[in-house]
Amino acid sequence: MTTSKTNPREPHSLPYYITDPTPLPSHIPSVPEIGATSAPLLSASYFIGARCAPFNEDFMLCRSQSRSGEIDCLKEGRRVTRCAISVLDDINKNCQAEFRKHWGCLENENHDLSRCRLDEAPLNACVAKFLNLTKVIPNSDGTPINDYETPSFFKNKVKAKYEQ
Amino acid sequence: MIPFEALLPYGVIIIMFGVAGTGMSAAKLLREGGNKPRVHRDAWDKMMMERDMRLTKEYRKQSDEPIAPEEFKTSSVWRASRIWDD
Repeated sequence: MTTSKTNPREPHSLPYYITDPTPLPSHIPSVPEIGATSAPLLSASYFIGARCAPFNEDFMLCRSQSRSGEIDCLKEGRRVTRCAISVLDDINKNCQAEFRKHWGCLENENHDLSRCRLDEAPLNACVAKFLNLTKVIPNSDGTPINDYETPSFFKNKVKAKYEQ
Repeated sequence: MIPFEALLPYGVIIIMFGVAGTGMSAAKLLREGGNKPRVHRDAWDKMMMERDMRLTKEYRKQSDEPIAPEEFKTSSVWRASRIWDD
């Protein structure tokens, strides 16, 4: 947020921090929260989007239409959470090594997806094989991305392992 | 032929630069847990890193478990500022 003549700084006063240890009331069904931190979540984000697109869009529509935002959309939010947990569960069961390599690379490279394509290719291939989820760029023509033009020295290795 | 004593100061300068650079790099890696430092952090990155801290209790430690520990549900922290109205 750069301050300038046309964008003066908001006044800051000393912050104090609010915590709230009371749990949700018991009439709201409780779902587990997602335990993945930022790098694994970014790595799995396209696969979560591939499987959970209806729930996510439902939630976003509800949020945009509701008056109070959070309170009206708890049910849709629970569905979103459960679906994302299921995707992460499946990835951990089937493709854990490739997943860990990819998010390890992302964590090293400032969460820049374009710097970790070499580790992303095996992950995409493994997830496409075991989970039938393909990475698709939203708002594009919808071609699935399984293979980011892996270099030829690498392609045969990936192919031999995952695309028999 | 230049006597080797004349090149010793250059060696000292190069070694000092090397030690300084290595020391800085090692200090940064030690802080970030073996990764390169995060740069160009925007509000989203700051929010996610704060969430990571709440999940794993360590700076830049990641976890890929699907389900969070139970205390994560009530560990959120909101920042407010005081308003004096007098």
